[in-house]
Amino acid sequence: MGLITRELWFALRERTVQVTLLVALFSAAVAVVSGLKTVGDQQQLIEKLKTETAAERALAVAAQVDPGGTAYYGFHFTYAPPSALAFAALGTRDTLAWKHRVRMLALEGQLYEADTGNPELSLSGKLDFAFVVAVLAPLLLIFLLHDSEAGERRSNRHELLRVTAPEGRKLYTVRAALRAALLWLALVIPFAAAALLAGAPGSGIAVVLGAAAFSVAFWLLLCRLVVSRITTGPACAAGLLGLWLVLTVVVPASGKLLARAKVEVPSGGELLLAQREAVNDAWDLPKQDTMDPFIERHPEWAPYRSIERPFEWKWYYAFQQVGDQVVEELSRAIREGVAQRDLMMARLAWVSPPLLVERWMTGAAATDVPSFQAYEACVRSYHAQLRAYYYPLLFEATPFSEEAKALVPEFEPCAREGSA
Amino acid sequence: MNPVFHIALDEWRYWRRSRLGAAATLVTLVLLVASSVVTYQTVTAERQARDQLQDAAQSIFLDQPARHPHRMVHYGHYAFRTPPPLALADPGVDQFTGAAVFLEGHRQNSATFSPAYSGPQGIRFANLSPATVYQVLVPLLLVVVGFSAFSRERELRTDQMLLAAPVGPGQIWLGKTLALVGLALVLLLPLLLLVLLIGEDRLAGLVLVAGYAVYLLVWASITVSVSARSRASSSSLVVLLALWLAVCIVVPRGASTAAQALLPIPSKVETDLAVADAVRNLGDGHNAGDPAFARLRANLLAEYGVDRVEDLPVNFRGVVAEASEADLTKVMDDFAERYAGQELAQAQLLRWASVLSPMLALRAFSTTMAGTDLAHRHQFLREAEAIRYEFVQGLNRAHASELTYSDDMQRSRDAASEKRTRVSPTNWATALKEFHLQVNPASERWQRAFPYLLLLAVFAALAAGLGLSRRTAKGWA
Amino acid sequence: MEQPILEARSLTVQRGGHRVLQNVSFTAQRGEVFALLGGNGAGKSTTLLTFLGLIPPESGEALAFGEPVHGNVDALRRKAAYLPETASLYPHLNAWENVRYFLSLSRSPRPQQDVAEAFDQVSLAVDARDRRLESYSKGMRQKVAIALALLRGVPLLLLDEPTSGLDPVAIDEFNALITRLAGEGTTVMMVTHDVYGACQVARRVGLLRRGEFVGLFEAPADGMISADELHQAFASSHAG
Repeated sequence: MGLITRELWFALRERTVQVTLLVALFSAAVAVVSGLKTVGDQQQLIEKLKTETAAERALAVAAQVDPGGTAYYGFHFTYAPPSALAFAALGTRDTLAWKHRVRMLALEGQLYEADTGNPELSLSGKLDFAFVVAVLAPLLLIFLLHDSEAGERRSNRHELLRVTAPEGRKLYTVRAALRAALLWLALVIPFAAAALLAGAPGSGIAVVLGAAAFSVAFWLLLCRLVVSRITTGPACAAGLLGLWLVLTVVVPASGKLLARAKVEVPSGGELLLAQREAVNDAWDLPKQDTMDPFIERHPEWAPYRSIERPFEWKWYYAFQQVGDQVVEELSRAIREGVAQRDLMMARLAWVSPPLLVERWMTGAAATDVPSFQAYEACVRSYHAQLRAYYYPLLFEATPFSEEAKALVPEFEPCAREGSA
Repeated sequence: MNPVFHIALDEWRYWRRSRLGAAATLVTLVLLVASSVVTYQTVTAERQARDQLQDAAQSIFLDQPARHPHRMVHYGHYAFRTPPPLALADPGVDQFTGAAVFLEGHRQNSATFSPAYSGPQGIRFANLSPATVYQVLVPLLLVVVGFSAFSRERELRTDQMLLAAPVGPGQIWLGKTLALVGLALVLLLPLLLLVLLIGEDRLAGLVLVAGYAVYLLVWASITVSVSARSRASSSSLVVLLALWLAVCIVVPRGASTAAQALLPIPSKVETDLAVADAVRNLGDGHNAGDPAFARLRANLLAEYGVDRVEDLPVNFRGVVAEASEADLTKVMDDFAERYAGQELAQAQLLRWASVLSPMLALRAFSTTMAGTDLAHRHQFLREAEAIRYEFVQGLNRAHASELTYSDDMQRSRDAASEKRTRVSPTNWATALKEFHLQVNPASERWQRAFPYLLLLAVFAALAAGLGLSRRTAKGWA
Repeated sequence: MEQPILEARSLTVQRGGHRVLQNVSFTAQRGEVFALLGGNGAGKSTTLLTFLGLIPPESGEALAFGEPVHGNVDALRRKAAYLPETASLYPHLNAWENVRYFLSLSRSPRPQQDVAEAFDQVSLAVDARDRRLESYSKGMRQKVAIALALLRGVPLLLLDEPTSGLDPVAIDEFNALITRLAGEGTTVMMVTHDVYGACQVARRVGLLRRGEFVGLFEAPADGMISADELHQAFASSHAG
């Protein structure tokens, strides 16, 4: 009987190993299945809202004869589809928006709706695979290994093993590594099955498998370090739990506080108030006060800058755009602040392996902050397309035929698979 | 002195001397104090910022020059959700809900800018609010300090000396639990201090602290009881850690995932679409000629005994705006209430898992008492909606009474008419009430929170029963 | 005289900052049963662990087969088997599995037939062999551990309180077994605090007291060491 086969047989006979592996297999399976369901629901919802928004728009703009009215009443559905790996790491998709209904009005007022899940559910968080791997797996490994040496001492087997096995103390390392490998297998088997089912890309799968392996290997190392130095099981467990607590809770939480303190992000409330002022003041200002900054941005419409009547659609949309221009700086500052804070968390992750593992996985699954910002950028660019489509119609006053109406750009999600 | 106290004191002495217990307690205390200070600072700053924004929004609205009233309906107003005083202890769902709502005519906007939007992301439960520390980390400390309370004595065989003393096993259990509860009470001091420091809503705050005390009592009893029923310290520790993992981490997440799957609720976009569908036939309040208002016109003409809307003593366009807003709001309120109901039902499903996890029971109790639960978010939305409806209708009434129908019809073409349709800013002040979100009275919160406290008490009783029902002397071997 | 299998030469050992063996010397020849007798804290187990190569001597030497054991554990492992005090093998495995596992650890697999024979030799009840050790009594566990030591088929046995937990019948059987093995050429060193047990099997008994070797008793060619004499020496060495 080879060393590995023998120790494998030995490990699988042990109650603790059996129970822990079952727990790991079960949690991974539950996480993966519920992740698949969540992602499936999101995909269904996207399809449903795509058709419903289109149908609603058709009804709403049917009676509109001019481009201005059509743009005003026509909502467009934008969304970030879940990636093929999103089921494994749901990330920010329950707290940050991944779908908006937008129209041609000032965009800044439409981007920040907190249309997300039930906040009471968000408070608990999701049992997704990333959580199982980053947070739960270390605890399971601690369960498996904390008493692995102390238990042998307590039962007077320590010396017997050392004089019996030529591996000496290395036997413990072999045993621990084997248990860690078994744990890894129990975790990734459900994942791998689901990933193949979901048609996830190989590189993404590799990242997730690697992240899981890293998580298990890191905690294996820590467990070995502690277990081979402390002679009683409970003390090992307490020490390892302390490390788990520090690395999983204290470091990330302090990091968040630090990121908040170090990086100022302007308050959204300020942006909202500023933009409303800009948009609404336009009604009372001389028309050219609106048109000047607009023409500055769009010199191509300079010939059409004069506004004759108290109300003209082109002036209306010009001040909508100027409303966005006024808060451009503030909006950029917010985005940059968010990115900066995320960068700080990325740096911090190098001292918190659980955070690192989670970030790798949400990165691979495109459910992290950069992916969210990419979606926002995607909505911005789509909104710019809408403007590019409507401005000629509004300014050149080209006849607005039904054919022209049908040419309105459709939203296409921006391709973003995981940043593997 | 009663032997129970002797045993408790002896246990304290043991912890003080074992480095493990002392170190763990110290670390937890530091965490508690740090989290209290940090949360106090951030939430206080947040409260001030939102109050300031609210005041700013209010005065900006009131400072608007004379205008056509319908312009002000679209100019709109902002309602900011200021966290309640006890959010300092338990921020609850506040971190995931929008902080501001734009209030305007014809629409119920959803809240924007949740703190999570700009907050750094990473490991969700790694947030060190006092609530989280007490709910998740302090139980872990009690486990680590108390797991060997009985099993240690059994391993050293000192238990038999105690029993020979003679002290009953019940008394030993009581003494050990008392020791652990004493530690828990010491750890509760920072929370008590925080609540007293907050000042506002103090009664509810004290009730909140009591809830945490019962919760920690549950953990203290469970810890000692499991220790009493375990052969060896190592197995006692494993059982307790598994319990902690299940109660504080797995069940809450699992229940949240299950609630999402079992009782899905429509997204806001779906609701918006449904509202749009439902109001399509209500008529456009901007268009007094919309056939949807023919009946209103006929009734009004009959009431004043005139033939033409121009002859009405009120501006028919304003009347239409008011009637249409009322109809619209009714539909929107229906949807909003239905949505809130669905959200509550989903949260309730999650809360049912409280029977498996005292931590969920405490969280329901704590967020309810603090005013940071889902119900309070709904209350914010309702109060904001009430303000919205009131100022929009106030402006619509001004629209009906302060300007004439003919001027109103002419204003797009005739500058003089346009000028006459601008009404005085005093109307803004009559229409817009001040918005200051008040948390529900403590008694009302208590009524909703009480069942969870009761559940916690049941947990405590069960845990105590587990320890006390252990067979005496014989069961010790 | 041929080379002794075991030899302690002025052995001095420290453990946890305390000197627990002081200048101890003795030898054990091939086919001999040598017992170290001593009370609690006399240094018996330390002597054994030193010969197993698990504790380095401070000064002096512990030799097995003429080689210093420390730093040479691998060579010793092939030639020696160790029976710890109140040996608890793995409670979640049955007797067969335990023996098979440990034999595999030491790279000395034995056919099932041999294992059954060893169980017979230590008279482990047949119906117990398929049960997990968690249901065993202390004595039954000891029997499995003894069987394991036998199955190693090595020329040197190091036994720590081998008869503790055994009933009188089993002790007699054990003694007979050890005597037979010695007759076949196996060297046995056992440490014990059982005066009578030591006299039953050992040809020579060394007396340890607080880490010092205080006496050596040899059996006459035609008989056994006198238990009374040994008991008296043991008692007086502990009275002083």
